[in-house]
Amino acid sequence: MNVLLCSINTLKRLYDISAVEVGQHFYWQIGGFLVHAQVLITSWVVIAILLVSAILVIRNLQTIPTFGQNLFEYVLEFIRDVSKTQIGEEYGPWVPFIGTLFLFIFVSNWSGALLPWKIIQLPHGELAAPTNDINTTVALALLTSVAYFYAGLSKKGLAYFSKYIQPTPILLPINILEDFTKPLSLSFRLFGNILADELVVVVLVSLVPLVVPIPVMFLGLFTSGIQALIFATLAAAYIGESIEGHH
Amino acid sequence: MKNITDSFLCLGSWPSAGSFVFNTDILATNPINLSVVLGLLVFFGKGVLRDLLDNRKQKIWKTIRNSEELQENAIEQLEKAQARLRKVETEADLFRVNGYSEIKREKLNLINSIYTTLEQLENYKNEAIDFEQQRVINQVRQRVLQQALQGALGTLNSCLNNELHLRTVSANIGMFGMMK
Repeated sequence: MNVLLCSINTLKRLYDISAVEVGQHFYWQIGGFLVHAQVLITSWVVIAILLVSAILVIRNLQTIPTFGQNLFEYVLEFIRDVSKTQIGEEYGPWVPFIGTLFLFIFVSNWSGALLPWKIIQLPHGELAAPTNDINTTVALALLTSVAYFYAGLSKKGLAYFSKYIQPTPILLPINILEDFTKPLSLSFRLFGNILADELVVVVLVSLVPLVVPIPVMFLGLFTSGIQALIFATLAAAYIGESIEGHH
Repeated sequence: MKNITDSFLCLGSWPSAGSFVFNTDILATNPINLSVVLGLLVFFGKGVLRDLLDNRKQKIWKTIRNSEELQENAIEQLEKAQARLRKVETEADLFRVNGYSEIKREKLNLINSIYTTLEQLENYKNEAIDFEQQRVINQVRQRVLQQALQGALGTLNSCLNNELHLRTVSANIGMFGMMK
């Protein structure tokens, strides 16, 4: 029995060393649903970071902006630029949506890359960026789908659906398929990139704990920023596409 | 075998009984690399960010100053224009008042001159009437005198004899004598 326990312990240690857990989740049951609690927790942290920083900055507004206000105004200008170039003249109502997407994804990704989440150990799974979980990215992508449908329908009414048979009715199946591939590609791109980033870092850390992962972490930071920008830009582009008129 | 798997299951599911724990394994939690990354990010990012934000601030400041200058200029011009408007208005008032008084004076003058002319004409008229009256009165008087003289002459020629002649002469002499 002793031998058995010993072997079990060594096995467990080996298992721990080589344990790069994927697909382990910390479940909460809310109503009839099992939710991934680690995603919720990190999302709340991200939301809290965004809200608190925004509240801190807007507490003392100046005509000539101080550092924080200046930074936030710069970010807002950036988002507005992105929406304007992608959506066109009627970009105004969509700036909040695009900005929310961009800021949430950006801060999520960077929190995954910069915050030492792993200090807090969960019973199951581990804390990581919210965008590390496909549910988050699918939710964001579906919101984008709803947004561009709403944009098109509210702009053109039922004439919006005439874009499915343009330029020729032959393309109807492909055009319908596009509505499914858009959220699919959006969500999988973001999810895959962030998960891959974090996995690479985790694997490298488990192999060589010091120094070596640092360049990869910087690469991860870069990719995370780019992914946030790509998601926001594509969402804006889809909205702009459904708004623009085919004359 | 079943025992082993059971114990594995037991070991595997053990953490779910516990709750959030702090992981103190420094290598696994990776805080060294994270702090290095964060430090480098702050070190390099700070300069870039500061430049960017300073530029933006400068731009905002310049824009505000420019617009303030423009506003001041506009206000100055507005004031100038208002001053000119006021001046012109006072001039216009002056002209108007002057014109009114001039017109009034002219009117009075005209009325006066016409009045005098009218009076003169009235005088002329009266004079002419008087003159004509005088002339007519003279004519009537002359004719009456002539007729009276002719009548007297006729009467004298028809009924004058010596005795009467003498009596008359003496009566007249007596009259003259009494008058003396």
